Amino acid sequence: MKHFFKDLTSSKAGLFGAVLLVIIVALALLAPMLHLPDPTRGDLRARLAGPTWDGLFSPGAHPLGTDEVGRDILSRLIFGSRMTLMVACTAVVLGGIVGTILGILAGYKGGFVDKLLMRLVDIQLAIPLMLLALLIVAALGPSIQNVVLVLALTSWIRYARIIRAQVLSLREREFVQSAHAIGASTLRIMFLHILPNVMTPALVVGTLELARIIIMDAALSFLGLGVQPPTPSWGRMLADGRVYLSSAWWAVTFPGLAIVLTVLSVNLFGDWLRDYFDPKTRSAK
Amino acid sequence: MNSLPVLEVNGLMRSYGGGKSLFGKRKPVIHAINDVSFKIGEGETLGLVGESGSGKSTTGRAVLHLETPDAGSVRFRGNELTLLGPQGLKPYRRQMQMIFQDPYSALNPRMKVGRFVAEPLVVHGVEKGSALRDRVAELFKRVGLDPSFMSRYPHEFSGGQRQRINIARAISLNPAFIVADEPITALDVSIQAQIVNLFQDLQDELGLAYLFIAHDLSMVRYLCQRVAVMLRGRIVEVAPTEQIFSDPRHPYTRSLLAAIPIPDPDRRRPDRTPFDVAANIPAREAQMVEVAPGHFVLDQTTQ
Repeated sequence: MKHFFKDLTSSKAGLFGAVLLVIIVALALLAPMLHLPDPTRGDLRARLAGPTWDGLFSPGAHPLGTDEVGRDILSRLIFGSRMTLMVACTAVVLGGIVGTILGILAGYKGGFVDKLLMRLVDIQLAIPLMLLALLIVAALGPSIQNVVLVLALTSWIRYARIIRAQVLSLREREFVQSAHAIGASTLRIMFLHILPNVMTPALVVGTLELARIIIMDAALSFLGLGVQPPTPSWGRMLADGRVYLSSAWWAVTFPGLAIVLTVLSVNLFGDWLRDYFDPKTRSAK
Repeated sequence: MNSLPVLEVNGLMRSYGGGKSLFGKRKPVIHAINDVSFKIGEGETLGLVGESGSGKSTTGRAVLHLETPDAGSVRFRGNELTLLGPQGLKPYRRQMQMIFQDPYSALNPRMKVGRFVAEPLVVHGVEKGSALRDRVAELFKRVGLDPSFMSRYPHEFSGGQRQRINIARAISLNPAFIVADEPITALDVSIQAQIVNLFQDLQDELGLAYLFIAHDLSMVRYLCQRVAVMLRGRIVEVAPTEQIFSDPRHPYTRSLLAAIPIPDPDRRRPDRTPFDVAANIPAREAQMVEVAPGHFVLDQTTQ
């Protein structure tokens, strides 16, 4: 653990990403304790009020302005991050676990299992992901569980494909042959020899996916199929604010910025994490 | 050779292709090895030489059932292996090991080398806990490595050290027989001799039998009691080492021997016609003939 932090502080980009991510997660976790204005309660007298830093700590202050029904944007951003992060992380982990296991299975077993899984992936890739997500959410109803499920479903194929390709080359490597030669079981080979060697690509896909899923979750909310109002979500805020883009820039700019910063920090941290898990680059430092 | 051989291979076959591609086109069948037979006695080293693609490695892998042979029999101390499934083979895997050509890809880059060497012992449930650690340390010492290296990752080692790690893993279960698939080809010449000597020391100490696959004939001459020459998936000549070097019978063997460089700058190689492989593909029905005691040649004069 000591090594982990030492290594992290030596990478500027990684540290920046990590710090940003910690701040975002901390804000999300601590939101109820921050004495923020109620994110769901509007104040029609203060509709589309611009950002102002006057009287920052007075109860009626809106440091990032208000939206079209007078709700505080800062408060909505912070409460919105709770939902976004929870949905995105669950979907990424779920998709990652399923995708990695199926990818290893397809690559290592080959033959019928491989063909079946890869045709499944092909079929799913042939349908636009957004359309698929829309169909499912529309059919099952827009609940959080359904959104997570849909996002994980659009995600596993990416892991499965990349991991399978890795496994195909790993399978022929001599250390895998050597594990056969000593009589190791298939399960042992898959989990001890193959899995650790595909963790790096899985992690890279994971960070890319986390970023993509945050955006996709925002897109679903934007289309009104994600989290339902009045619960705040970043995508919803973008959708609602876009109408006022010319007159009230803050209504879309801050949610947009929140998405960009979150995605950026995840990517930077992910890049560093990838290097950290690679024993080659780890000891080079 | 009078007692029961440690390994007896008869009529081993392995071919690739032949399946159908996506649109139903038949892929051509390639016989990687065709009717390969040989015996290896306890504590004996059989050299297997031949050009690239002649089926040497496939033979080694088929013997250990890393690839399932299409036909033929492999007997280990008289026990037939070809009909056993993965579970049935497991006890024999303790007795037969393999050392690979490329020491860089033979180690799992994400596994500490100590754990890698210990793996066979863990898989077969031989040792546990501190006894396992002691045994691995002992193996490290045996192959000339410092036991403190156990907690390092493979990329921290040189090619020669990696090959030592592979050897430590291969001998961990005290096998009777090891297939060494060009174990020194990828190493520096200065390291090659060290590794070859390690092979010999281990043989003396543990009574190992080797199937030593190589294309460096001078190493084969140094290390092997008998040599088998492969051409296009078939063994064309088998004989005791000195015999094959002094009295090669098959034209391909002669051509191989003539290709050994002689370290004398003043001596010019006599002009010679290169060996025409295409004109010398072993005939399917050709048989091995004993031309001298223990010296067999594939007879191609019949047609």
